[in-house]
Amino acid sequence: MVHSDSKQLIQSYIIQSQEDEIKRISLELHEGVGQNLYSILTGLQLVETGLNQPHLINYLREMTQLIEKTIQEIRLLSVELHPPALTTLGLLPAIKSYIKLYTSTFGVLVDLESIGEEKQLSEQNRVAVFRVCQEALTNIAKHADTSNVKMSLIWKENELKIMIVDFGGGFAADGIEINPFSLGIAAMKERMLLTGGHCVISSKIGEGTSVEISLPL
Amino acid sequence: MTELRDMPAVMEVCDQLLKDVGCDFVALALQNEVGPDVRWHFASGNENDKYKRITVRFGKGIAGKIISSGSPMMISDFPNDIYGKVTDHPIMLAEKLVSCYAVPLFFNGSPKGVLLVGKRRTYTFIDNEQEMVKESAETLEQILKGHILGGGA
Repeated sequence: MVHSDSKQLIQSYIIQSQEDEIKRISLELHEGVGQNLYSILTGLQLVETGLNQPHLINYLREMTQLIEKTIQEIRLLSVELHPPALTTLGLLPAIKSYIKLYTSTFGVLVDLESIGEEKQLSEQNRVAVFRVCQEALTNIAKHADTSNVKMSLIWKENELKIMIVDFGGGFAADGIEINPFSLGIAAMKERMLLTGGHCVISSKIGEGTSVEISLPL
Repeated sequence: MTELRDMPAVMEVCDQLLKDVGCDFVALALQNEVGPDVRWHFASGNENDKYKRITVRFGKGIAGKIISSGSPMMISDFPNDIYGKVTDHPIMLAEKLVSCYAVPLFFNGSPKGVLLVGKRRTYTFIDNEQEMVKESAETLEQILKGHILGGGA
């Protein structure tokens, strides 16, 4: 029992350390590299106003566009690593922001509903739930062969329940242990167990897959 | 931007390429008139409409790499031997493609579009097929110049 408790603590510590590092890199990208590139962009735009040779103006415009694309990619990468909304605004705004990015990346539409009043979660639990949802949505983009997902957040007095249902091909749940993506599923379950919650995945070939996450409040 | 579906000449080039190469899928991505976004504006042989919502990430996946490097690229056996993660290749996932060959479209000397042909099985596109894709890309550059990017300015 003592051994299992310390194993859980070590797992939590490893996950927390990784999350801290991801958050640091995300902030460095957004606040450091991103800001510097933005300063270069405004500088180039200023230089352009002083030029009168058409070929130089064209060249500068191309460079400006390249920097714009790089700034956008840095911003998306930063949000993908650790959405700032997760720390500042909470779980629901972070999920909404991620879904926008998810649809524009994979073309899969997510119908999101939140029932009940959003409750405050500890940052550790917020991050855990967010990562499990992120993994579930990524699995759908990779394997489900579907264009639509339904995601419901149900805020109860003592529990948060999240249902993610795709309408895709599904898979045979019995063969899952030998599938490489089962490690991802095992990680989702383990991550929720560490928060004191649960993650249950059910699927049938031809009937899609549902992921049910629950977290005590 | 003018809807490419309203430009029969673009559709003809893509449909013809689909037949000539004998592939399952052809798609055309272009940079928007305003801003740096590159999106898939036209597809032939598509199984769904996900491509319409996908924005190509600069430097990511085959299309993003082509826009950033300006060079053609091929994938023969997705998801094996790819650059980056599986999720960096959304058009391959969305259309269940296993192989593809794609080339850049140049406007005003810069890569601002991608023409992609794909198959839903393992395949290596031979020189002759690669040449057909490049020729179609040049034809599309001529058709689209002036319509899409304000005369290439």
